[in-house]
Amino acid sequence: MNYPIWEPLVFGGGLVIGIIAILHVFVSHFAVGGGLFLTLTERKAYRENSPALLEYVKSHSKFFVLVVLVFGAVSGVGIWWSISLVNPEATATLIHVFVWGWAIEWVFFIVEIAAAFIYYYGWDRLDPKTHLRVGWIYFGAAWASLLVINGILTFMLTPGRWIETPTFAAAYFNPGMVPSLVVRTAVCIALAGVYALLTSASIPEPALRSAVVGYAAKWLLAGTVIIPFAGIWYISTLPASAREISMGGAPAVTIFAGLSIFFSALVMAFAYFGPHRRPRQFNAVFAFLLAVLALSTTAVTEWVREAVRKPYIIYGYMYSNGMRVADLGSIQAAGTLKSARWVRRHEVDPKALERTGEEIYRVQCASCHTVDGYNSIRFAVKGWSWSMIDYQLAHLSSLKGYMPGFVGTEAERQALGAWLVTLNPLPADITIQPEASAAGSQATETMGKGVSQP
Amino acid sequence: MNPVIPAPVPVPLPAPPWLLEFLLVFTFILHILAMNFLLGGVIVVTVSGFLGRRDSRHRELRRRVSRALPPVTAFTITLGVAPLLFLQLVYGQLYYTSSDFMAWYWLAVVLLVLVGYYCIYYYQLQYEEIGTGPPWVMLATAILLVLVAFLFVQNITSMLHPQDFYRLFLSGQVGTILGSVTSVNIARLAHFVVAAVALAGLGIALLSQRWRVDSPDLAAWGRRYGVTWFMGGTLVQFLVGLWFLFSLPVEVRQSLIGEKLAVGLLASGLFLALLALVTAPSSLAVSSVAILGTVSVMAVLRHWVRLAYLRPYFDPRSLPVRGQWAVFFLFVALLLAGLATVGWMLFVFYRPSARRA
Repeated sequence: MNYPIWEPLVFGGGLVIGIIAILHVFVSHFAVGGGLFLTLTERKAYRENSPALLEYVKSHSKFFVLVVLVFGAVSGVGIWWSISLVNPEATATLIHVFVWGWAIEWVFFIVEIAAAFIYYYGWDRLDPKTHLRVGWIYFGAAWASLLVINGILTFMLTPGRWIETPTFAAAYFNPGMVPSLVVRTAVCIALAGVYALLTSASIPEPALRSAVVGYAAKWLLAGTVIIPFAGIWYISTLPASAREISMGGAPAVTIFAGLSIFFSALVMAFAYFGPHRRPRQFNAVFAFLLAVLALSTTAVTEWVREAVRKPYIIYGYMYSNGMRVADLGSIQAAGTLKSARWVRRHEVDPKALERTGEEIYRVQCASCHTVDGYNSIRFAVKGWSWSMIDYQLAHLSSLKGYMPGFVGTEAERQALGAWLVTLNPLPADITIQPEASAAGSQATETMGKGVSQP
Repeated sequence: MNPVIPAPVPVPLPAPPWLLEFLLVFTFILHILAMNFLLGGVIVVTVSGFLGRRDSRHRELRRRVSRALPPVTAFTITLGVAPLLFLQLVYGQLYYTSSDFMAWYWLAVVLLVLVGYYCIYYYQLQYEEIGTGPPWVMLATAILLVLVAFLFVQNITSMLHPQDFYRLFLSGQVGTILGSVTSVNIARLAHFVVAAVALAGLGIALLSQRWRVDSPDLAAWGRRYGVTWFMGGTLVQFLVGLWFLFSLPVEVRQSLIGEKLAVGLLASGLFLALLALVTAPSSLAVSSVAILGTVSVMAVLRHWVRLAYLRPYFDPRSLPVRGQWAVFFLFVALLLAGLATVGWMLFVFYRPSARRA
C-alpha cells in the first residue's frame, strides 16, 4: 500500500524470506550453542589432560568459524535484506520500536566476532585460562544477542501490552519472550550436538571418535528433552486463534505442526539409539542424515511459527499485506486505489477492469500469494465462478480466518474478482447457471471469458 | 508534480534526528574504514598476485595480508549493520522504496558478499596449506566486491531522487529497475574504490611494522610498498574527487560551495589529505591520523550532500519524536562495556608475552 510491491517470480516474498531465514536459524543457533560446546569441551580436555580431545576442539573451532562467522553473519544480514524488500512497512515499524534493541544486539555482535577470531587465532598465543575466558566471552555475547533478537521475534506474534502502551519495555517484555528464549536456548544446545556429531564422526582415532560422538549425543539429547516442555509453555502464550490454526484450523499448518513434532521425535530417537547407545557404529553418513533431519525440523517449526501469525505480521496491529488495523476504516472509505501509492490508476477503470483488478491484487494479496508459484492465486480460485469469487472476497476474513479481509470499495472488489475469474479459462462447453441470490441481472455466468461485471 | 514518497510509520522516532544522524555518520565512518581495508586489500593482493608472482617478498606479503582479510571482512559486514539501521530509521521511506525497485539486484548483494567472503577464506587457507594462493580467486573477489559497491552506489543514490520514484515505478517491473547509471554514480563509485586502494596501502604499511622483529627486510619493503599504494591512490583521488564534485547537480554543489561551513570542511579534508600524503614516507602515525581526519570530514560532507539532495522533498526534522532514553543509555553503557571487553581481548592477544609454551 505504502511501498512498491516486489513480486519475486514463483517464490513469492514469503518463500524468499523463509529460505534465507531457515538456513540462518539453523546456523545462528549453532553460533550460540557451539560457543558453549567449544568452551566446555576445551575445559574438559584440560581437566582430563587429553591433548587428543584438545586437538579435536581446535579443528572443530575452524569448522565453527567457517560456518558461523561467514554463513551465519551474512545470512543474518540476508534476512534483514529480504524482510525490508518484502515487508518494508513491518520492517520500518519494528525498527522504530526496537532500534536501540538492535543497536544493543550490534554491540554484542562486535564482541562476539572479536572473541571468535581471538579464540580461533589464539590457540597458540593464549594461555589455557585466558583462552577459555575468551571462549566464555564469546558464548556470553552470542547468547546475549539471542536474548535481544528473541524478544523482537516474539513481539511480532505476541505484542501484548504494546498495542495499548507503546513503550520499548512493553514491546520487548512480551508474553512469548521468556518461553521462546528457553526453547531457543535448548535448540542451541541441541544444534551444538548435531554439528559436533558432524565433525566428530570423522575423527580418525576410533577410541577418541566414539568418546566424542557419545559426548556430542548427550548435548543433542539434553536439548531435545527440554524443547517439548518449553514448547508447550510457549504455545500456551499464543493468541487463541493462532493455536487454532495449528491445531486443525488450517490443514497445511496442522500437517506441518505435526511434522515438527514427528521430526523432533525422530531426531531424539536416532540420537538415542544411534550415537548415544552405539557411538562406535556412528559414521559421517549417519551424522549427515541427522543434520538433514534437524534442518527439516527447524524448517517446519519456523514455518509453522510464521504461519500461525496469519493474517497478521504484527499480531492485532498490522496485517500480512502491510495494512494497519487502525487504517482499515480510512482505506475502506477512500478505496484501495486511492490509498495505495504504487498503482498505475487511482480509480476503477471500467474499460480496463481486469487490469485494475490485477493492481488491486498486487496491493492486497501479492505479499503472500503469487500468480503461479508459491501459494498460487490461480490455483486458489480454480473452478470458482464469478459469484463464488465475489462472495469469498466479500467475506474473506470470516471464511478464511488466516487471511486479512478485503479492504476497499465495492467497485474495487468487483474489479479484483473480474481479474481473478480470468485466471482459469474454462472449457467452452461448461457454463454455470446463474445463482438467484448473487447474480442479479446476469442471464448466464461464464467463467474464464473476462466477465467484467456482475 | 509532487513526488510520491511513502508515508512515515505512525510510531515516533525513538530519539531526535540529530542524534540518529550523528550515529549514522559515526558508525558509517567505522564501516567505511573496515570496508576500505577489505576492498583495497583485495585489490592490492590481486595486483601483487599477478605482477609480483615470482617475487618471494610479494608472496610473503600476500600471505600475511590475506591472513588479516577474514577478520576485516567480518568487521566490514558487522560495522555496516549500524549505519544501515539508522539509515532505515530516519530515511526508511526513501530507502525501502529505492531498494524495492531494484530488489533482485539488492538481494544479490547478500549472495555476492557470501561468495566473496568464502573466496577470501579459500585463498587464505590455500596459503596455509600449500604456501600460495591462486591470484584469480582474489581477482574474482575483487570483482564481486566492486559489484557490491556499485549496487550500493546505485541504491543509496537512487533514494536521493524521490522525484523520480513514480517515473521509475512506471518504467518497468518492481524488483528489476536498477535505475540509470549516471556520471555521478560512476564518479561516486570511483571515489570509493580509489579511497579503498589508498587506505589499504596505508593499512599494509602499518601492518608491515608488526613484522619488524621477525623479518625486518620484509617489514621495510612492505612499508614502502604500502606507502606507494597510498600515495598513488591519494594523488588519483584528488582528480576523482574533483570529478565527483563537478558531476553533482548544480543545486547540490552550490549548497556545498555556497556554505562557509561546508567549504571549511572540504578545505580541511583536502588539507588533511595533503598532510597525510606528504608525511606518509616519514611518519605513518601522523599520516594515519591525518587521513582518519579526511575520512571523517568526507563522511560528514557526504551527509551534507544527502541533505542537500533531499531538501526540496524530505526533512527528517518533520518526523515526530518520543525518546526511549532508558534503553538508549543502556545501549551506550553496553557499547562502552563491549569496547572495553574487545580492548582487553586485543590486549591479551597482542601482548608480547602472549605465546604458549
